[in-house]
Amino acid sequence: MNYPIWHLPSTGGSLLIAIIAIVHVVIAHLAVGGGLFLVLAEWKALKTNDAGLLAYVKSHTWFFLLLSMVFGGVTGVGIWFIISLVTPGATSLLIHTFVFAWAIEWVFFIGEIVALLIYHYRFDKMNSGSHLIIGWLYFIFAWLSLFMINGILAFMLTPGDWLTTGNFWDGLFNPGFLPSLLFRTAISLIFAGVFGLVTASFLKDQQLRNRIFKYCAKWMYFPLALLVLTGIYYTKVISAESFENLFHFNAESNLFRDVLLYSSFALFGLGLFTLFRLPALAQKIGAFILVALCFSWMGGFEYSREIARKPYVIYNYMYSNGILVKEAENINKTGFLKHAKWTEIQEITNKNKLEAGSEIFRLQCMSCHTIDGYNAIKPQINRLTERGLEAQLTGLGKVNTYMPPFVGTPNEKKALAAYLFYELLGKETETVKAFQPTEFPLEVPAFNSEKNEYVLLVWNDLGMHCVSDNEKYFSFLPPANTFNAQLFKRGAKPELITKNVRIEYNIESGFENPEERSMFWKYSKAIFGVDVPVGYGLAGKTVNDTMDAHSNHFAAELIPVIAYRKDQLYNPFPMFTFKAVDQKSGELLAETKAVAPVSTEMGCRNCHEGGWAWNGISGVADKTSENLLAAHDKYNNTTLLADAKNGNPKLCQSCHGDPALGVPEKADILNFSTAIHGFHANYLSGMDHQSCNLCHPSRIDGNTTCFRGRHAKNEINCTECHGRLEDHALGLLAGQSSKPAAKRLSAALVPHYVDDKTTINPRTPWVIEPDCKSCHTNFNIREDGYSGTSFNKWVSGFADLYRNRTDEQGVMCIACHGSTHAVYGAENKFGKQRDNMQPLQYQGLAGTIGTHENCSLCHTKKMNANGHHRNQIKRKISAAIVH
Amino acid sequence: METNLLPAPDVLSVHWLWFQILLVVTFTLHIILVNLILGGSLLAIWNRFKKTETPVFSGKIPIFVALTINLGVPPLLFLQVLYGHLFYTSSVLMAVYWIAIIPILIFAYYGTYIYVKKADKAPLLATISLWTSTIFLLYIAFVFVINSTLTQLPEEWISYFQNKGGTFLLLNEPSIWPRFLHFIFASLAVAAIGKSVFIHFAKKLKPEDKKVAIQKNLKIAAVATLIQVFVGFWFWLSMPEAVWKIFMGGQLISTLFMVAGWLIAMAILYFSFTGKLVPTLVAIVLEVIVMVLIREFARNAYLKGIFHPSDLATQYQISPLLIFLIIFIVGLGLIYYMIQLSQKPKNSRL
Repeated sequence: MNYPIWHLPSTGGSLLIAIIAIVHVVIAHLAVGGGLFLVLAEWKALKTNDAGLLAYVKSHTWFFLLLSMVFGGVTGVGIWFIISLVTPGATSLLIHTFVFAWAIEWVFFIGEIVALLIYHYRFDKMNSGSHLIIGWLYFIFAWLSLFMINGILAFMLTPGDWLTTGNFWDGLFNPGFLPSLLFRTAISLIFAGVFGLVTASFLKDQQLRNRIFKYCAKWMYFPLALLVLTGIYYTKVISAESFENLFHFNAESNLFRDVLLYSSFALFGLGLFTLFRLPALAQKIGAFILVALCFSWMGGFEYSREIARKPYVIYNYMYSNGILVKEAENINKTGFLKHAKWTEIQEITNKNKLEAGSEIFRLQCMSCHTIDGYNAIKPQINRLTERGLEAQLTGLGKVNTYMPPFVGTPNEKKALAAYLFYELLGKETETVKAFQPTEFPLEVPAFNSEKNEYVLLVWNDLGMHCVSDNEKYFSFLPPANTFNAQLFKRGAKPELITKNVRIEYNIESGFENPEERSMFWKYSKAIFGVDVPVGYGLAGKTVNDTMDAHSNHFAAELIPVIAYRKDQLYNPFPMFTFKAVDQKSGELLAETKAVAPVSTEMGCRNCHEGGWAWNGISGVADKTSENLLAAHDKYNNTTLLADAKNGNPKLCQSCHGDPALGVPEKADILNFSTAIHGFHANYLSGMDHQSCNLCHPSRIDGNTTCFRGRHAKNEINCTECHGRLEDHALGLLAGQSSKPAAKRLSAALVPHYVDDKTTINPRTPWVIEPDCKSCHTNFNIREDGYSGTSFNKWVSGFADLYRNRTDEQGVMCIACHGSTHAVYGAENKFGKQRDNMQPLQYQGLAGTIGTHENCSLCHTKKMNANGHHRNQIKRKISAAIVH
Repeated sequence: METNLLPAPDVLSVHWLWFQILLVVTFTLHIILVNLILGGSLLAIWNRFKKTETPVFSGKIPIFVALTINLGVPPLLFLQVLYGHLFYTSSVLMAVYWIAIIPILIFAYYGTYIYVKKADKAPLLATISLWTSTIFLLYIAFVFVINSTLTQLPEEWISYFQNKGGTFLLLNEPSIWPRFLHFIFASLAVAAIGKSVFIHFAKKLKPEDKKVAIQKNLKIAAVATLIQVFVGFWFWLSMPEAVWKIFMGGQLISTLFMVAGWLIAMAILYFSFTGKLVPTLVAIVLEVIVMVLIREFARNAYLKGIFHPSDLATQYQISPLLIFLIIFIVGLGLIYYMIQLSQKPKNSRL
């Protein structure tokens, strides 16, 4: 940002650096090892009176001079030129920090040049002993050049103590200095052997040629052990992040690692041909193939080193786009464009937003990325929406630690996202037609408090529940809705009935055949490993069936209900009718209704481009699914998209275990909830409950508004129970802290509701959740303007969860208060009272069962004590709260 | 003047004068070698055309190229230490032409080898190579002239906003062409004198042939210098008023050096026209030193009020400088030792 950016929309500066650098580095290594090769070969020739070998050394010197001095020398200057054009800030820093290291290197360089010129031009014209000394001096100068340059190169990856001391010697003799020097020395010897073959392959004397080939082979293979050992040593001194980026996390590194690996096999495998007597032409071709392999090997190695260094150009000091690490925080506050010298835009307005985004892209991204050429940005971002791009920028450098963070204000981030989406990708925002939910008529079942002897309470166990709905690609929430019920026989002392009674249920008309509008059954074998009979759910229930009796309640588990009515109408809250029937007599004891929340309004499409699947209202479209699977594949080296396209979609939980589905966890893989929240928290950080709404169907202006209970009505949002997304994720990640991914995902997360993330209590999703009692102390209703959070105040165990907890008589909290997220007093946009059927049926009032001293709906005598919990009948609460 | 475009420079590790001295000393050595290869190539073209070619000097051009590139490293290094923030910026503005120097230099370099090795065996190839190398070297010189000028004219950098692709060339600046010509005629004069020195020490030439050749080359130097007097004057006045005036009484030291420059030029003319090799040689070396210093004064005048190396912050770390100086001296000693060794007579190798 200090310097102008050379605008290369297709080529990219980094490609130019790579081309020049790879060529130079091969020759430069040859220049070192080749020096030793020459002098030792000459010495051997003199010692053994081998005129043929001596003549070979002379001709190889000429080849060596033309290659190393001309090509090597000029491309060395070329690297200097190109880095000062592409990364002038880093070049300036390296020049200023190491000016005398460069100057010392120049002394060695001139010594090298003079020695080589004398060695070549005076080959047969001077004293042979002195000539050998010149040869040795050449090698010493060349190796010392490597010694100096190696220090600076290694400094960029492992600056070590320099970061704190700023001391020249700390910088030069950094932690990577020695392993890198030894490693590169080994390379230089190997290359000397390979290039020695080239001159040898032109020798006419076959015997001599074979002899020299064998000699060169020794140079290729003897340093191999040093290369391998120092290579391992090298990987030990780089940071853990570098190592992980290089070997595990950065998919980009695969190609270069493979190039390095295969080039190694090819070089040392094919190199064995040097040991056999082959025709001259074959030897010539072989020699040139090995030379070519030196270049690909070097390309693989140097690229891998570059990737290990990402996102820095000088590790932990300067990002690859030239922004200093220490400046980033300040720029985030004051603005990137204000700090950037080479832009005409300082302030973002509505008018110049796209232009400002373009400037930010040019100044902050283009030192590495082109638009559609080398390391192109387009394929990296074309699966995201504008919102997704903004999220991507928020998450840069957090999970994918090989990218530098976006530096700038939130407005600048929005401008960049808008530029990328509208101008660079040339896309338009998806047109979403306004959704008008149908207000379905309500028929509240009758209840006669004089005549009816039974009260049947039924609820959905989760309240907010989704179906992931595109089993063609993946599934993590199959159509599987669970109802629980408690049946009470009214009386002076009401009785909880679980025996000799059958509870039947029926879904409302139009929802009877979910298989007609769901792919669940088609892909059940691939996803769940079993062919689920059509119409049946994962626990064997259909949408019209009977509940199973348990010790204190009835349950119908995993009913395969979906939100799409036969006539294409979207209703995420289909109504079920429940009837309690005497098993012996068949007499109807009680009847009630309850909704099944089955929204498919999952917000993947907000970020992962592709839109809705179902009539522009909900569901994960094919394209959206493909885009999000591609993202998973990119970050995790998986093949989910290809698998799905080959007809093998996966259950997300098949890798990411999940207590909600009862899938056991794998040793090193995060459970599902932790993975999905932990990952996305890095991209959607710094937001309030809006981040929850981006994925869950909880938005007030959404197509479901699944968060509809009394809390929602009182404007209490998600974060006040669960914490912000970062808090929520950190709690889950703390519960998985033994897994490597947890460390990576939590590293950049900053909690909102606590100061220190180490104080966050670990929890297991679905098993341990926020405790209602942390706000409702002593079961009090909070009318005191309380604005705390129950985040980090977890229930003591599974049995203590709101949906499992009972009073001393066995009455479940949820039976009287309603489903989570739909606590009675709820408002449903598909019919205001749709979630309050039972309170309306039994007491004509949409509040908690028994509220307003309505004890009589179960108790036939007047109650004066807090029978179920404290503060229960303390007072008659205001109608405003109830309604 | 868009002063806000000036990048923030990095800090120095020793007093700026150290770098200034090192810059002047190493640049002087480098530019003499540059003059030798460019001027030498131009002379070789002329001599080849006139069929009066001798390998005494032109045969050494590839070696000069190697040494020129090597001796180009330290001045470029010290220039970047003092003026890097200006130099990088101007380089980016003309990045395409700037980076093209590298492949062009490689071709020019190999071209000189082909010319030398094939001068007799394949004359046409040698001639083509010589011409190609010389044109390439002229290109490099021209691009260097433009970049050096653009470095000291930050007000021209605003052009970046019209051309971000690195293809901006500062051609409409009045001093560009006289500066380039000033460089070419200096090269011719220096190369002609350098060639005379080589002829003087040549072992294979007869004394009478040497004398004729030296006289001829000194005459070329004299003519080149005579033209240079006019070109120099043009160059001088093509610079902005605030710059040329410092050499005309505006600044004592600059004026003194300019006077010295003119006097030495007169001396070169006199000695070269009268065929006196040693005085001409001494005078031309002195003139190069004076011109290198004048160049520094002019740059400071261009950048007056914008930047001066003394503005740079310093965080002292002396030991690297000391180690460099020690290694430099040891290096020079070893180079001397190697040259001595190279003169040891041949023995029976096998």
